[in-house]
Amino acid sequence: MLEKDIIQELGFRNVRKNGQVVGFQVRYRSCYYRSVWLSMSLGFDVSVDGEKFSRDQVTVTIGGRTYTQESMKTITDVQWPVSEAATLTVAKPGGLKPGMHEVEVGWGHAASYMPMEMGAMPRRPQGPEVGAAMRGMMPFIETRKIVLVA
Amino acid sequence: MSQHELTRKEFLKVAAGAVAVATLPRPASAAPEKPGPKRGVSIYSYSDDLFKTATLEDCLAAVGDLAADGEEIGLEVLANSHVEGYPIPSDAWVAKWTDLCRTYHIKPVEYGHWVDSKLRSEKAPWLSTKESFEMLSRDIKLANRLGFTCARTKLGVIDGQLTPVENWREFIKMALPVAAKYNVRMMPEIHPPTKLKSRMIDDYVEFIEKEKTTPWFGLNIDFGVFQNRRAPATPRAEGPGGAAGERGAAGGGARGGMAPGAGEPSKVEDMIPLLPYVHCCHGKFMEMNDNCEETSIPYPDIVKMLVERRWNGYLLSEYEGNDRNRGGAFQAVRKHHVMLRRLLGEA
Repeated sequence: MLEKDIIQELGFRNVRKNGQVVGFQVRYRSCYYRSVWLSMSLGFDVSVDGEKFSRDQVTVTIGGRTYTQESMKTITDVQWPVSEAATLTVAKPGGLKPGMHEVEVGWGHAASYMPMEMGAMPRRPQGPEVGAAMRGMMPFIETRKIVLVA
Repeated sequence: MSQHELTRKEFLKVAAGAVAVATLPRPASAAPEKPGPKRGVSIYSYSDDLFKTATLEDCLAAVGDLAADGEEIGLEVLANSHVEGYPIPSDAWVAKWTDLCRTYHIKPVEYGHWVDSKLRSEKAPWLSTKESFEMLSRDIKLANRLGFTCARTKLGVIDGQLTPVENWREFIKMALPVAAKYNVRMMPEIHPPTKLKSRMIDDYVEFIEKEKTTPWFGLNIDFGVFQNRRAPATPRAEGPGGAAGERGAAGGGARGGMAPGAGEPSKVEDMIPLLPYVHCCHGKFMEMNDNCEETSIPYPDIVKMLVERRWNGYLLSEYEGNDRNRGGAFQAVRKHHVMLRRLLGEA
């Protein structure tokens, strides 16, 4: 089962390769009611403790497969299911120190049945004015303070 | 057009037109076994719980609990979200699905799917007619495999009035024989801000009558088109921030909600001429009070009209109120069904 928060705390860990810490990963679930084709996912923007990472520094793992954000744009027959958190792996030599970190993730998706071009819209936090049924519809930023242990 | 065909305009001129609607041959209904409007739920109502605090089975159990003894309850799913392995679920999952429906007295009715015009890009050119037909065919076959007889076919749009993509007639016409073969009635949803008396409806009806699509292509009416006031804020909604501004057409939050897109309401009687094309409706609701009355959509008038006209389809509860993300969806849907049972004379 997924945590109710969009940014999941479970799985917030550093990533090791050949004995070196090369980055960290954080899991993110969709708050949009609909699973999306990878090509209609409009890219993840990740910042931690104010440090912004480029899209090229972030890969996305869904269904056991890892994609660059660029390659996702072309995949029209694989979905990101709402039942599954995507694992965002961020390249950062040395990773993050154990402790609490403020993680901010921006995301948006295309919607054929809405007239706007979502990719051109700015990403903003979703305030209380966004009704329950509209959450995750427009591009948005989510922030959560979560604890990394290892 | 041959002299035996009746345009919608001509038909409505007939003095006894209203009575004649009730005596037209009924389109093959999703539920021929029990006449009149029937109760159902869209699992979309539980979106904020599903996969977080509730499994799919939990949601089906909640729906099944709305059935009177010996009865079934209709169901809508959103294919992308609720079908594991979409678009190609395994045989094992499909067997499990069939078993769950039987266990919880559920009749699959409507399969919610999208013809994703923006699949490759948000900017035109969008999905071709051939690709649209292929996507649509895939969904029709899967709907049939899962036991559904209706599809909520969501088309891509080209403007703020939700006008569908320009090639919709072509790919829908191509799909009609597939729909007939697999016994699935395609229905775009008529949703606010669309009004029931509008150019868009005229365009759909003109196509339906010209191509003689009934029952394989019709209309699903979302009752949000009738919303005539803002739902009152629930007591739990009065947070420290108080009322906040609306974001786009979506309004909601602390002030209580309008259905997304809602504006000037359509009249209930505007639905009457459309009834021959409507196999399912979305029973949109925003907030139920503790007396199990909906606070902003004229349900008594709507259900009375459907009962009087002997409409044979499913009313699929679609909850979009703000208790959804406070764990309140399950109770909200229960209240909705108490109301429907009363209005249908069952309780």
